[in-house]
Amino acid sequence: MNDLAVKFAGVGKRYPHYTLNDIDFELPTGSIMGFVGANGAGKSTTIRIMMGLVHQDSGSVEVLGHSMPAQQAEAKLDIGFVSEDMRLYGPATIAWHMNFIQSIYPRWDQPYAETLLRRFDLRPEQKIKGLSHGQRVKSALLLALARRPRLLVLDEPTTGLDPVARREVLAELMAVLADEERTIFFSSQNTLDVEQISDQITFIDRGRIIDSADKEIFLDRWRRLRLVVPPNTALPQFPGIVEVGGSSRLPVLTISRFDPAMVAACQEAGVAVQAVDPMTLEEIFIVNVQIRREGVVA
Amino acid sequence: MSASMVIRLVLKDWYLSRGLFVAAILAGLATLGAVAAAKGAMLAMILGVIVLVTILIGMGAFLMSSTVNERKQQTLPFVMSLPISYLEYTTSKLVGSLFIFGVLWLALLLGIVVTILITPWFPHGLIPFVVVMAVEVLATTSLIAAVSVTTESQGWVIGITQVGSLALNAVGFSIVRLDGIRDTMSGPDVHFSSTAITILLVEFAVIALMLAIAFYVQSRKRDFV
Repeated sequence: MNDLAVKFAGVGKRYPHYTLNDIDFELPTGSIMGFVGANGAGKSTTIRIMMGLVHQDSGSVEVLGHSMPAQQAEAKLDIGFVSEDMRLYGPATIAWHMNFIQSIYPRWDQPYAETLLRRFDLRPEQKIKGLSHGQRVKSALLLALARRPRLLVLDEPTTGLDPVARREVLAELMAVLADEERTIFFSSQNTLDVEQISDQITFIDRGRIIDSADKEIFLDRWRRLRLVVPPNTALPQFPGIVEVGGSSRLPVLTISRFDPAMVAACQEAGVAVQAVDPMTLEEIFIVNVQIRREGVVA
Repeated sequence: MSASMVIRLVLKDWYLSRGLFVAAILAGLATLGAVAAAKGAMLAMILGVIVLVTILIGMGAFLMSSTVNERKQQTLPFVMSLPISYLEYTTSKLVGSLFIFGVLWLALLLGIVVTILITPWFPHGLIPFVVVMAVEVLATTSLIAAVSVTTESQGWVIGITQVGSLALNAVGFSIVRLDGIRDTMSGPDVHFSSTAITILLVEFAVIALMLAIAFYVQSRKRDFV
């Protein structure tokens, strides 16, 4: 069995006003990758290349052991895909969609589909055109989950959802995570969602991957140090200082490679450490984007 | 290519257009009934032909623009997330739409032919002209299908539908003046002259060429969503 569900190697795609550059990442089977980027960063293009819907100009893409886009039909038999801009057929009912998908996917799980109908408070006889945005997203998610895919690709599925619908969708995704063989690739602008369900994080900005690591590593290695520097005392120099804010006497260091030994080093240098603040994924993402755009190497 | 996937996609399109399809069949049969009941009145016949051609062109444009609608209504990502290649999608759209349209087209053509044959008011010699013009409608619809699939543009589809409708009038006007057509139209027998057969062969060749061009253009596309 292939241990990698997805492998991108040097993938590039050029459009007249936008370029996706050297996208490299690997997604091991059974892991959940959160793909975070601002609008126009390249998330959807990357996902479309992953699904075989857009042909890359350079590099190679393998999904579930299949070369993309050449073997997209075989690969998509094991993929559940939901995107924010995906719509179902308005005049047809949820039940019709379920029957349609069931006729295509041999692993369709009808009892699970009926459980999801109840959990999402959907009625099979409802026509898609009469559903709210949240119900439409939940219907699409139901159709993707009940086919029991090995890889679930979600392109901003929670965008535009009200808080209750968002919570229901995320709760179902959390439940899906119990299956260790299932791999999830989840793109979002909402770092809170990504932080909640992902175990790997990749940041993309302006068509380039700017950072990628385990979520815990991200959260462990990024810190804000609030210091008190006495007069005539130099600020200690550490690797991974990406931003120095505050004042010269009360500086705030943003560090991308935090080590607890840094606190002791500060104290040895005569600098008092007022606080070592953990950073949220959103703060890490924003600083990461800023420093890359300004050309500062973390 | 998976034939079963193509058939599922065609059945999907059939399901989504079945209401309009049945309405078009009923409207066509009602029109033929009205023409027959008018006992050969010229005005009724002209109006009947206009209504039938409108039904065919309208349904053709509706069915053939389903590719444009998939993109416009954002259902294309859903379809393309299924285990299909773009060639299978293109085949389902071109062949499937033309097949669904073909059923309507054949039903109405048979209805017209039967009306001519069983009522005493129309010369049977009219049938070759009717068949030639019906195949011309099929060619126009194939053109709309090819343009719809390759451009996925509503503007292009509207434009080509209008051009196709105008061309249909011009072709009909030109064909009816050909000796091989005009001379047999008012006769009591069904006679396909060499002119009629040649025109039919050209029309079918044009249909095949348009479909081939559409498949070729689609096979060279790299981005589908």
